[in-house]
Order: sequence, then C-alpha cells, then structure tokens
Amino acid sequence: MSEPDAASPFEGEKAPASPRADLVTAAVLCVFGIAVVTQAWQMPRFVEQSGTGLTAPGIVPGFYGVVIALLSIVLGMRAIRRGGWAVRGAAQGSAADRRQLATAAVLGVVYAGGMVGRVPFWLASALFVFAFTTAFEWELGPQGRLRRVIEAALIGIGTGIGVMLVFEKLFLLRLP
Amino acid sequence: MDALNNLAGGFAHVLGGGAIFHALWATLIGIIIGALPGLTATMGVALLTTLTFGMGPDKAMLVLVCVYVGAIYGGSRSAILLNIPGTPASAASTLDGFPLARQGLAGRAMGISTSGSWLGTLFGTMILALFAPSFGEFALQFGSYEMFWVALFGIVIAGSLSGGDPLKGYIAGFLGLFVATIGQETNHAYARFAYGNGDLAGGLGLLPVLVGVFGVAEVLSAMRGPAVMAVSSKIDSVIPRIRDVTQHWKTILRSGALGTFIGAMPGLGEDIAAWTSYAAAKRASAEREKFGKGSIEGLMAAETGESACVPGAIIPVLTLAVPGSAPAAVLMAAMMIHGLNPGPMLAITTPEFIYQIVAMLIIADMVKIFYGLALVRPLLWILLIPRARLMPVVFVLCTVGAFAITSRLFDIWVMLGAGVVGFILRELRFPMAPLVLGIVLGELLDKNLLRGLVLSGGDISPFFTRPISVGLCALTLVAAAWSIPGLGSLFRRKRAIA
Repeated sequence: MSEPDAASPFEGEKAPASPRADLVTAAVLCVFGIAVVTQAWQMPRFVEQSGTGLTAPGIVPGFYGVVIALLSIVLGMRAIRRGGWAVRGAAQGSAADRRQLATAAVLGVVYAGGMVGRVPFWLASALFVFAFTTAFEWELGPQGRLRRVIEAALIGIGTGIGVMLVFEKLFLLRLP
Repeated sequence: MDALNNLAGGFAHVLGGGAIFHALWATLIGIIIGALPGLTATMGVALLTTLTFGMGPDKAMLVLVCVYVGAIYGGSRSAILLNIPGTPASAASTLDGFPLARQGLAGRAMGISTSGSWLGTLFGTMILALFAPSFGEFALQFGSYEMFWVALFGIVIAGSLSGGDPLKGYIAGFLGLFVATIGQETNHAYARFAYGNGDLAGGLGLLPVLVGVFGVAEVLSAMRGPAVMAVSSKIDSVIPRIRDVTQHWKTILRSGALGTFIGAMPGLGEDIAAWTSYAAAKRASAEREKFGKGSIEGLMAAETGESACVPGAIIPVLTLAVPGSAPAAVLMAAMMIHGLNPGPMLAITTPEFIYQIVAMLIIADMVKIFYGLALVRPLLWILLIPRARLMPVVFVLCTVGAFAITSRLFDIWVMLGAGVVGFILRELRFPMAPLVLGIVLGELLDKNLLRGLVLSGGDISPFFTRPISVGLCALTLVAAAWSIPGLGSLFRRKRAIA
C-alpha cells in the first residue's frame, strides 16, 4: 500500500465551495459563456480579405465561450448531484469578517477609483493609509487609541512622501 | 568548454555597473515580501517590475530574478516562525518547520531552510545551464501548429495539477484566455469586446491584471481573516549544519530534480514542487513517522523542491515563451517590456542571454545565503508588523504598479476590477495559476491557431499529423484525461498493479 500524500495544513482554506455556491457560479459562467459566443458570432468575418474567413476575429473567443459554457454546465451538474439544488450553503465567514472585508473594499475603491488622479498622489495615499489603519485599529479599544491614531497619521504621511520620493525622484516614474 | 566560456561571459556581462548593489537590495526586498504573509512572489515581481522601467534590460532582469529567488526563500521564515506560509510555495515547510521551532529549534530549522533552498536553486540553475540551450535549439523546429499545442498543453496541465479542483482549473484557464482576447487582434486590427472604448481597444495590460489578481485580492483576503499571532522570539543558531546536508544528500538530489522538472512544466509552480518533493521524501524515508512532527528531512525536501522550481520555471520562459509558474509569467512579461524576446528565437538572436540568466540566478542564490545567515532578528520584527499598517501601504504600491507602465488611470480601474474578480474566484476555490497562464498564453494560442489555419488553407490536419504536433497533442490529451475522475484512477490503479 502506498503512503498517502502529505496533507495540506490548510484544509480549511482549501475546503471546497458549497454546492449551492458552485451552482450559482455555474449559472453565471454559463450565461457569460453564451454571451461571449453571441458577441463573437456578431463580429465581422473579413471573408473578402482572407478569402476563407479563417482569420475571423470571433473564431477564438467564440471557441473559448463555448468551452466556458460547456465546463460551467458540467460544474452545475456536479453541484446538483452534490445537493446544490436542495441544500443552501452557509454564509462564509463571520459578520465581523464581512464587515472588515467591506471596509477594506470601500476604502480601496474610494482611494484608487475616487481620489487618485483628482487629489495629489502623496496626499491621497497619506489619507488612505491613515483612514485604513485607523479604521482597522479602532476596534482595539479606547486604551492607547490616541497613540495609535497619531502613529497611523505618521505612517500615512511617511508612505505618501516616501512613495513620491522613491518612485518619482529616485526611479523617475510618473505617479497618478 | 563552450558552456563554461559562455557562463564566464554571462558573469562578466552581469557583474558590472553596481550589479552587486542591485542584487543586495532586490534580494532583501524579495525576502521581506516572501516572509510577509499575504504578499506573494508573483506580487513582488509584478510590483518591482514598475521600479525597473528606467533601468537597462540587464539590470532590470537581475533585480527581478533576485526578487523572485528571495521571495520564494523568504516564505519559509513565516512558515517556520508563525506556522503561516509567507507564500503558497512555503505551505509544505510549515509541516516540519513550525514543530521544530516549537521544540526550540527555530534557528536550526532556518539553517536547514537556508541550505536546502540554496542547494535547490543551485541544482535547478545547473539544469537550466545544461539543458536550456539545447532545448532552445530543439524548440526552433516548433512552428505555429506546435506552439498552439504548447499553449494549450500549458492551460490543461495547469488546470489539472495546480491544486484543488481540475474542472475549476480549466474554467479559470479559459477565463484567462478570454481576457487575453479583449482588444485589437493581430490579423485585422479589429477591437474585440471594446464597445467603442479606446482604452479597452488597447487591451487589458498584463501587469495591472496581475497586480489586481495577486495584490488587491491578497489585501482583501488578508483583511478579512483573523490576525496572525506573535511568534517566539527565542532563536538558536541559524548556521546550517554540514551534517544536516550530508545526511540528506539523496533527499536534496531527489527534491532538486523533482522541483526543477515541475518548474519546467507550464503553470505548476513552486507550491506543487514543494508538496511533491515533500511527499516523495516521505515515501522514501526510513523515518516516516517523524514527518509532520519536526522532520529535518521533510523540511529539507520542501525547501529544496520549491527553490529548485525557480530556475526550472524559467527554462520554458527562455525556450518556448511559456512560463513555468505565476511569478515566471510576470518575469516573462517584464522581459517583453524590456525588449527581450523570450522563446525559440532567443537561441538565435541572443543565445548569451541564457547564460546571463544563469549568472543572475547564481548571484541571487549567493546573496540569499548571506541574508539567510545575517538577517534573522530584523526579519522577526518585520514579521510582527500589524496587517492594518502593512496592507494599506501594499495597496498604495499596487496602485503605483498598475499605473506606472502606461500612465493610464484606466489601468487602475483594471487593477480594481481584476482584484475583485480574483478575490471572488478565490473564495469560490478557483485556482489562480491557470488564470494567469491563460492571460499570458492567450496571444500565443490565438495567433498560432489562426496563423496555422491560414498556412494550411483551412486544413486542420497539420495540427495532428506533424511529428512534434502529434506528440504534444497526445501529451495534452493525457493531461486532460488524467483529471477525469474515472480515467485518472484507472491510470493510477494500472500503475499500482504494475
């Protein structure tokens, strides 16, 4: 009998997604695949130029769309076989996890999508780092909060100025 | 003799104009990036590519090779001290590294990690120096039909073996291939999926997508989970013991060979190399019961395997323009940005470049062992930086990295979009390596399929009848069949009976 393969210590992280999640994913991917095929079909064929139509721009993405749709059908059928139709998957992570994720995502989008390009880059970066650090360290409690906020401000200013100096002055790159 | 002369020429070329200074800072940054949980080698190479825009190609490649080598090694620090792999490649090192640290042997574990990693990279580099030039010459016979199969084989093998669910691996690979079709195609300059948008017509930049998938998604993942716990700060001597090396020379050679081979397979990467080397060492060991409880042999195997994979992953980059791992994919993109053209033609246009890469790998390996011995306590402090302070800085660097290549704000939006999609796909347990490989290989596959069809006047038979094509086609089919549950187990059962 052969020795079993070494087990990953991160089984929890590598645990399969719930069948319900797989089923929803399969449905989304199937629609996506069909949409790609439809778009590819509507692309010009350039038969006059090539003579054969074999260089039509839609051939390759159309093929990918077909494969994505077919594979997503297999994924969906497997999810149904595993009970995805009947069993509702539990929501992943705790409410605190989801709140932290939402905070990080919102701050990231506000910074990269809203501030960068409108506010001087060093200032936008300083404000972002300060807001991000303060938001996540706020829940550590009132003890030492003022010190943490001051440190966050210093880290923010240091990052903003440091990034500007290193990228713009040392490596001569253009910043947003 | 020619090879030695070429290698000497490679060193002479690389070692000049402050090369050692660049190697020192780049390897250090690589080790720090690798050591910090949440920052991966792929992200490190992608972010540092930004910094190399103003450098010449030689210096830029030296910096990126050093970051790559350093990051893969650095991951073992947090694996040993925190039980959290700094990079996915170091996951196997936690199995025996952390138990050794808990037994008060953290220093010895780091010594084993340093020596195993050093020897692994050296072994892989020797294989690269010996085989890459002749394989490069062989690859000159590859035409459009063969390159199409090489690209497809890369997607299939990455989907099958990159960990987890092969079906999701294939879907991720084809999603990556689709992403690569966005923008103007080569034959008629028709803008696919652009919807009249000039930015989309230019295509999605590889670097912003990679920074999003590996940087932004990592930041989101890191901020969601529980914080990393502090480590024991008591460390014994980190100087590698000669006996640890001599006693396990067979393990080192086996893991080196396995790591290099897996590295050379498109899209598999360092984590698979480490797990395979670890499993092989466990099977061959006389002390299997010690594995997972602080086995020196187990740690040595994992470290040697993952580090040997780095030069292995560069072999197909140089010879076929097909990356062996996700960081190698970014390295390949950086080569293209710097005007180097990896692939079969490299053997004709700049054959000396292979030996320059060999020299860079050896320099990076030497600098790595220096830091492995000298940089233990400062790394401990860095490991203890709270994620709430580190991750926003990483996000700022991601933004700069995405913007710097073409100075378009559009690329920042691409990074954000790729980050969100990458995060969702990860949550749904889709592997990222096939996705990256799909994006990188998309153009190769697209171009060669259409070119092949045009050359043959629409006849698909050359794809299946040319000698090398038929071999590559068979390999692709076997790799795909392997992942089908019934067929895969049939193969394995037959092998076990034999």
